[in-house]
Amino acid sequence: MIVAAIDIGGTFTDLMAFDERSGRFVQAKSLTTPAQLVQGIIDCVRKSGLESSDIAELIHGSTIAINTLIERKGAATGLIVTRGTRDVYGIGRGNRPESYNLFFHRHRPLVPRHLTCEVRERARASGEIHEPMQAADVQAACEKFAAEGVQAVAICFLHSYVNPRHEREAGEIVRKLMPGAYLSLSHQILREYREFERMSTTVVNAYIGPKVGGYVRGLKASLADIGFEGELTMMRSSGGVMTPEVATERPVAMMESGPVGGIIASARIGSALAFRNVISFDMGGTTAKASLIRDGAPTMASGYYVGGYASGHPVMEPVIDVVEVGAGGGSIAWIDEVGALKVGPRSAGADPGPICYRSGGTEPTITDANLALGRLDPGDFLGGEMELDAASAARGIREKIAAPLRMSVTAAAQAIIDIASAKMSLAVREVSVAKGYDPRDFVLVASGGAGPLHTLAIARELHIPTVIVPLFPAHFSALGMLAADERHDFIRTCYADLAAADFRQILSICQEMADEGNAGLRHKRDAEQRIHLDLRYVGQEFTLSVPVTREQLQGADRPGIRAAFDRLYEQRYAHHSPAEPVELVNVRVAVIGKRAEMQFPLLPAAGRVTAAHMAEVYLGDPERPVSCPVYRRENLGAGARFAGPALVREHGTTTVLFEGDGCSVAPSGELIIAVRGAR
Amino acid sequence: MTADPVTLEVIRNALPAVANEMAADLQRTSYNMMIYEVRDFCTAMVNVEGELISQNVGGVSHFVADLGVIITDGVKRYGRDGFKPGDVIITNHQAVAGQHLNNVVIYVPYFFEGELLLFSMVRAHWIDIGGTSTGFGAGPDVADPWLEGLQLDQMKIHEAGTVNETLYRVIKDNIRFPESSLGDMNSQIAACRLGVRRMDELFAKYGKGTILAAIGKIFDETEIKCRNVVSRLADGVYEAESFFDDDGVTPDEPVRIHARVSVAAGGMTIDLSGCSGERKAGINSRTLAGARVAYKALTGPLDPVNEGSFRALQVVIPEGNIMMARYPAPMAGWSIIVPTVVETIITSLASAMPDKIPAAHHGLLGGAVVFFGVNPVTQRRFVVQSLEGGGWGGRPYEDGESGTVSVCQGDVRNGSIEGIEMKCPVLVEERSLRRDSGGPGKYRGGLAIDMRVRNFVEGRWNFERARRRGCPAWGLWGGKPGETGGYYLRRAGEDGFRSVDGSRKPVEADSEVIVRTGGGGGWGDPLERDPERVRWDVLEEMISMEAAREHYGVVLGDDLALDLAATIALRQSRKRRGHAAQPEEI
Repeated sequence: MIVAAIDIGGTFTDLMAFDERSGRFVQAKSLTTPAQLVQGIIDCVRKSGLESSDIAELIHGSTIAINTLIERKGAATGLIVTRGTRDVYGIGRGNRPESYNLFFHRHRPLVPRHLTCEVRERARASGEIHEPMQAADVQAACEKFAAEGVQAVAICFLHSYVNPRHEREAGEIVRKLMPGAYLSLSHQILREYREFERMSTTVVNAYIGPKVGGYVRGLKASLADIGFEGELTMMRSSGGVMTPEVATERPVAMMESGPVGGIIASARIGSALAFRNVISFDMGGTTAKASLIRDGAPTMASGYYVGGYASGHPVMEPVIDVVEVGAGGGSIAWIDEVGALKVGPRSAGADPGPICYRSGGTEPTITDANLALGRLDPGDFLGGEMELDAASAARGIREKIAAPLRMSVTAAAQAIIDIASAKMSLAVREVSVAKGYDPRDFVLVASGGAGPLHTLAIARELHIPTVIVPLFPAHFSALGMLAADERHDFIRTCYADLAAADFRQILSICQEMADEGNAGLRHKRDAEQRIHLDLRYVGQEFTLSVPVTREQLQGADRPGIRAAFDRLYEQRYAHHSPAEPVELVNVRVAVIGKRAEMQFPLLPAAGRVTAAHMAEVYLGDPERPVSCPVYRRENLGAGARFAGPALVREHGTTTVLFEGDGCSVAPSGELIIAVRGAR
Repeated sequence: MTADPVTLEVIRNALPAVANEMAADLQRTSYNMMIYEVRDFCTAMVNVEGELISQNVGGVSHFVADLGVIITDGVKRYGRDGFKPGDVIITNHQAVAGQHLNNVVIYVPYFFEGELLLFSMVRAHWIDIGGTSTGFGAGPDVADPWLEGLQLDQMKIHEAGTVNETLYRVIKDNIRFPESSLGDMNSQIAACRLGVRRMDELFAKYGKGTILAAIGKIFDETEIKCRNVVSRLADGVYEAESFFDDDGVTPDEPVRIHARVSVAAGGMTIDLSGCSGERKAGINSRTLAGARVAYKALTGPLDPVNEGSFRALQVVIPEGNIMMARYPAPMAGWSIIVPTVVETIITSLASAMPDKIPAAHHGLLGGAVVFFGVNPVTQRRFVVQSLEGGGWGGRPYEDGESGTVSVCQGDVRNGSIEGIEMKCPVLVEERSLRRDSGGPGKYRGGLAIDMRVRNFVEGRWNFERARRRGCPAWGLWGGKPGETGGYYLRRAGEDGFRSVDGSRKPVEADSEVIVRTGGGGGWGDPLERDPERVRWDVLEEMISMEAAREHYGVVLGDDLALDLAATIALRQSRKRRGHAAQPEEI
């Protein structure tokens, strides 16, 4: 059986496939074709040489959802709301995160005010109906929408998270009167209080719905045309997969479906090597991303702001928590008006790219600096497919950085790398130390084309004792998708004092959510449910999600749940208040259909470890290069051991080891590096 | 000793990261919405000389000033040798702190190898500080600090790691909701200690000499950047003024706000001597915030804040001025005038930097929704609290934003309707933008908000009016002012709404209140607004058909089709009339 994953990135479309019978991986890459994404996928399948009819499952991550929103190419959308709340969507929270900016911008609504229609209806926070719904108001809205060419409708009524009756009734009217329209009801997208965030999420879902739906249908048809008869599944931002049907109803769930693959892969590889606590570090062309995996599970956030917190659209859909900084191979080094050296956030991207790519780039980048330090080989980049121009890179660094700062070229290059490393360290810190986790208890899994070049320096900075460079670090996201479980997340606001909470009701809510999740599951056999309660001290606003067992709920184990909350609070914030009453805000259920563990083929045992050649590389001291061995990754067998200083080259990336770093190769092929001086 | 470029850049990034981590920590662990939603707090690192090393981003802008004076005062009281590791100092005393008593400062000394180097601080708004009122702080009619609440004057709440139980009890017994405020105090202390731990990691790694040299260099570079901006302005003296109708205590006596800004060779002096003297009403303060917020917005709004951000700025405010009031002048509503002060300073520079100055925004901290009482069903106290934004001024190239908090508030969020109703016995009937409330202009002012709330149980409302009716958010370059706001009450059984004013007014169950904010001023002559945009505004119900004709000279048919010929004719006749009647002014 062959399982394949296809990840559409900004530059490349990647395919990774795993043949369970032969234990063999297949990879292919094609250029992403923004106008015809589906064509890029089909090209990639063809290029891989796989027989379409042999592929049992195809897992897909795509940027279609997020790009439709960012480029504002979604459907004409209408919004139906409770009377008195027409402007809730535009006003949002009324805040101005850029405190001193007189020219700030709020989020730009996706629905104009005249296509936001109020309906007489009202529920109270208890769920009790305060005012019945006037069906005529919904009908009037539909007539207006039809006249204005609206293709998608979002409905968000106050307190529908506790009583969705009016939303359902209004939805039925819309379905009847506008049968061709795409429809999103807020309680089906998010059953959590806070009307603006729920409304925004629902509007985004409706806005991108028709386009994503069309994409999914087009993909299915094109795959059928080339003989694919297996199952198609879509990656979601939570790191799980979903069926094309769920994706069509809930496209907002695939907003971040690309980047999460690498995090899942990090978790799986960590677990396979018996490291349950992992920091995933992925550095590509424009950004570096850090993410924390604890006890084998990635850390989740309940939502985020597409386009940034200051002016973005809130999307409250579970997403793997990622901290991103503007430091990638293409990040530009520059000197500001007072003479300070800066790196990023501006990036040369893939076009024009770094100076050494010879595609017209004139600004020195991190990649140029790595080349100037001898860490990249001009003749051996992307397996030699692309020759790098070392002389121009050095000239660029001299003119733009070294001369103004009166440094040598290598000193300037080293400075660029050091500043970038410090920035990336702050990102890794933010997911770990800033949340109460000690990085010394973690291993760092490095991926992305630029990750392994920088990871040892970052690990040393943060005292992380072990670095793992996995197989296929440059195709890691697609690899991770192969390992993704099915996953459906649900939330329900259920406000009560913990001491007085009705656990029978909580259990029945959990059951309802679990049933809905199971219905959309393919791998039902070993399905797992995870239940969390969002708790807080009475009077606080922010909650912590506390894991609980079904047995704890059945036994109404208030003291146990309470103690778990206090412990988690202590860990996150270094203090807690055992005497304060605690209240329950939300119940969360995740239904997970487990995929069978991928068995990585074992490497043959190492023979003698021999370097391909020696190279002169600057590894810290910019005035004195070190002569160090260069190993080919494909020549390293299981159990091979060597020490830094050394470089390991493979297609798509290079791992840099410094003096005192010790590497051994795992039986399944990962480089496991003990970081010097980390403890 | 100097720091190399790499170390310098690393430290430059690390210092704001420390303050921001403290802020995130405080926000997530605090008990009151003034901290977690209104973000009425700041976190900072200040050295022994009172210089600001770094401060968090976001939150309430006017906290950008007045931290250093607390430290210099504390060091004077205790002496440099008077602090020990494990000390925690608490203060809100107005003789130095100069703000309302709710803003409680906690600070913790940091020692490196036994030497006192700096303090980690958090100033945060407590939900209650005793006195006559609760919530956002007492109103301007509170006559002195003793009525306002508990005064804490540079007290050590922890001494060398041991909590001062007596002081703790005194605080606990003299505030409402002690569990909330003392919870917040513990969060403040935890955030300060986090700051100290992070600074210790930095000092241990780079050494004292390098860090201090880097901080000095960062101050210098920040100053140069600010000077570079100001040096692009023509040297000269720029002035503007505005006023409040009255101070809320003495009727019919306007409160004058006046800014005199001198620019010379990259330096700027903001002289506020022309502002009113201190008042009997609690709208006094001791603050440089007005000048600093304006300067920061003009010189580097997106850069982190440190002492260098203000070294090229001279602020002149004489003792006895409304913003340099002498203790015990009442300060319960200390920040009410600050956004208008900021706006007046910014407006004074309109002719110096015409493409960088928007028309005036609503200028109010308010739109405050404050209703409190005891829920008869649960017997629990409740406080409804939300801050509603207003319109911002039209800009030299686009319309102003609607429904957004003032220039003194940054990441200050309104209360969600569902969250309010979950906790309090009220129904929010409406939160909407008010048509025609934005000042007409070539680029229109943003719209104001009407927040309408019905209370199911009796309780008390605060109706502290904005007092800008005579001086609404002004337009620039021919733009018109925005509408002003106020409070309106419909008592149970009554038909219509009446304008109301005052604090802690008892209101019976099933009454309704409209909290109305102000709109922004317009930028440029409304007759020059693109008629297509006027048509769109009518379609969007941001302006009425009448306003389109009256202010913009745009004629639309019943189907909203633009009648171009009639529009051109109307605009020409308007221009002839208008230009004869209006003197040239901004």
